[in-house]
Amino acid sequence: MPDRALNRICYVEDDEDIQRIVRLSLERVGKMTVEVVGDPTMAIEAIAAFKPDLVILDWMMPKLDGPALFRQMQQRPETSAIPVVFITAKASERDLDELMAMGVAATISKPFSPKDLPDQLREIWKKLP
Amino acid sequence: MNHSSTANGAAVAVSGKGIAAGTAERADPRQVLADRVDQLYGQMWLGILTTFAIGAIATLEFWEVRLRELVLFWWGLVLLITAASAGLLYAYRRSPDKGSNPEQWLRWLGIAALAAGANWGFAGAVFFPSHTDEQQVFLAFLLAGMMASGIPVYAASWPIFALYAAGIVAPFTYVLATFGNRLFTEIALLVPMFYAINVAIAYRLTQVFHSGYRLRHAYGRLTEDYSGLNQRLERQLVELDEARRQVEASGRKLQLFAERAPIAVLELDAQGAIKEVNHVAELLFGYAAAELVGRDFRFLVKPEFHEEFDRRWQRLVATHEPEAGVIRNPRRDGIDVVCEWTVTPLVNPEGTIVAVVAQGRDVTAQREAERVKKEFTSTLSHELRTPLTSIIGSLQLINTGVVGEVPTDVAELTVVAERNGQRLLDLINDLLDIEKIESGKLAMAPEVLAIDEVVREAMVLNKAFGERFKVRFEMRSGLPGREVLADRKRLLQVMTNLLSNAAKFSPEGGAVEIALEESGPNVHVAVQDGGPGIPEAFRSRIFGRFAQADSTATRQKGGTGLGLAICKRLVELMHGKIGFEDRAGGGTTFWFELPRN
Repeated sequence: MPDRALNRICYVEDDEDIQRIVRLSLERVGKMTVEVVGDPTMAIEAIAAFKPDLVILDWMMPKLDGPALFRQMQQRPETSAIPVVFITAKASERDLDELMAMGVAATISKPFSPKDLPDQLREIWKKLP
Repeated sequence: MNHSSTANGAAVAVSGKGIAAGTAERADPRQVLADRVDQLYGQMWLGILTTFAIGAIATLEFWEVRLRELVLFWWGLVLLITAASAGLLYAYRRSPDKGSNPEQWLRWLGIAALAAGANWGFAGAVFFPSHTDEQQVFLAFLLAGMMASGIPVYAASWPIFALYAAGIVAPFTYVLATFGNRLFTEIALLVPMFYAINVAIAYRLTQVFHSGYRLRHAYGRLTEDYSGLNQRLERQLVELDEARRQVEASGRKLQLFAERAPIAVLELDAQGAIKEVNHVAELLFGYAAAELVGRDFRFLVKPEFHEEFDRRWQRLVATHEPEAGVIRNPRRDGIDVVCEWTVTPLVNPEGTIVAVVAQGRDVTAQREAERVKKEFTSTLSHELRTPLTSIIGSLQLINTGVVGEVPTDVAELTVVAERNGQRLLDLINDLLDIEKIESGKLAMAPEVLAIDEVVREAMVLNKAFGERFKVRFEMRSGLPGREVLADRKRLLQVMTNLLSNAAKFSPEGGAVEIALEESGPNVHVAVQDGGPGIPEAFRSRIFGRFAQADSTATRQKGGTGLGLAICKRLVELMHGKIGFEDRAGGGTTFWFELPRN
């Protein structure tokens, strides 16, 4: 368990509606600091600059999908240590297993409940080494 | 037919030799004796008539007034003996089982013969001394004739003849020897020699008769054996013919199966060359049978599958076990077809592969349909869930109040909207689950679970749902420490379905009771509600898809009608069973059982 409480979150998502809901959920319900990135190609720089405690990625995004972005993060020294959580509508267990095998901290499947999302993330945070 | 009769002919010859070797032993001695006795009785009437007729002539010849009583007494003896003999003959003829006791009948006949012989001997002894020379000559002829004529009559049993002849000869010889006349003394010495010669002849004749009857019996048996053998042969021939017909019929049937089968059937030799194809195979590959016969089967296999094909073919040839698999096959028009093949070797009793039957089913369309369906399901899953996430998420944020207070009327409507959004989501999730289960794509991740803990967790997760219907969940009896091997997520799903059903159908303020107990090798989990019970007409299809007893309830309380169908399939995938029963005092108990770990 990390020695500090979960506070800074960076969320990469191209769907503006979902962006808004997640931002509201984390800020209003979870009282966290949130940086939302809509363009995945800009994400790596934004993450490196924002230095979040945890990154949330969407799987399916145009131009650069979640897994590809995750691999980019792993290659950059300043982002490789940041835990990553995927929010995805992919239901197949094989897909989720694939993500876990890549070294993703956790997956949350769509539809998630904005009421419960901050608690879910804190649970994940607590279980991290 | 021809070759089979040759084989059977050989069999007969062998058996025939065996029978000939055993001929001597095959005649039953008692049967032979019975036949001889039968012959003796068969000739008896001749003896009786002769005795009567010659007795009558002799009586006339010996008649003298001074000897009247003696001659009459002798004539009386003749009548008595002939009558008794006739009675014996009659009894024999009437006897239903003369063959069963030949010794007894022989003994009686011996007594009759001795009596007849002794009567003649008595005549010789009594009348010879008392009559004139001419009558003495007559008597000597008479006695010699009677003895000689006894030979054919009693030839079938020389001891009887010996008795009969002794009865004649003994008293007569005695009288001759004691007559005091030298000539008669010399004759008395000759008579026993004649007697001996006659008995010897009778003995020889008896032997001849005996062996004759023995042979007759033996050959009778032999004939029976032959006819038995013949009947057996005939039966075997009929059976062989029937078997041949059956083989032909099943051959025709097989041919029909192959010809009319809706799958491609190819007969190959052990090297993989095509020997025969059916019509479907012609249609499938676009070649006429004549174009395919003689070619290697690899001709119909895409080159990239040749390596796999060769490997499997070698395995089939080595193990004689059938092979099955899916490969791409090129059609004449250049388009590939995907076929599911079963390749079966036909092996004769010597262990040689005589043919290989390849059966192929075109699964191209089926594969494509499966792919489209999978794509559709995936799209459904993603494209429906993403907007629903926004809808439900937004409403949830409004309803929790984190984005500020809203007027009461608006709040009521957003609650309705959120609840129905959730219902739509549940339906999508249930549909996806059912689809996954039924296409066999739902992978279980079994782990060792403490059933008590999983059930309690499900109760906590569904507490809020229960509260919506003002229903409590109460654990009536737990089962701490009992473990099951099950998929945690799926077990929670089953419990959630059962708990939410129970909550929906329980009266407000009521309690849903959960009870865990052991049931043989299983753990029994019961969820008991205080609801109205299950209507009779609905019971049989309660675990079916879209099963709901009352559609009004659906509108009021939500639910997709898929929950129990999913539960049943999930429990069965975890090797358990599920059911329900009426609860005493109203309500229903839904239960499931999982094998204990």
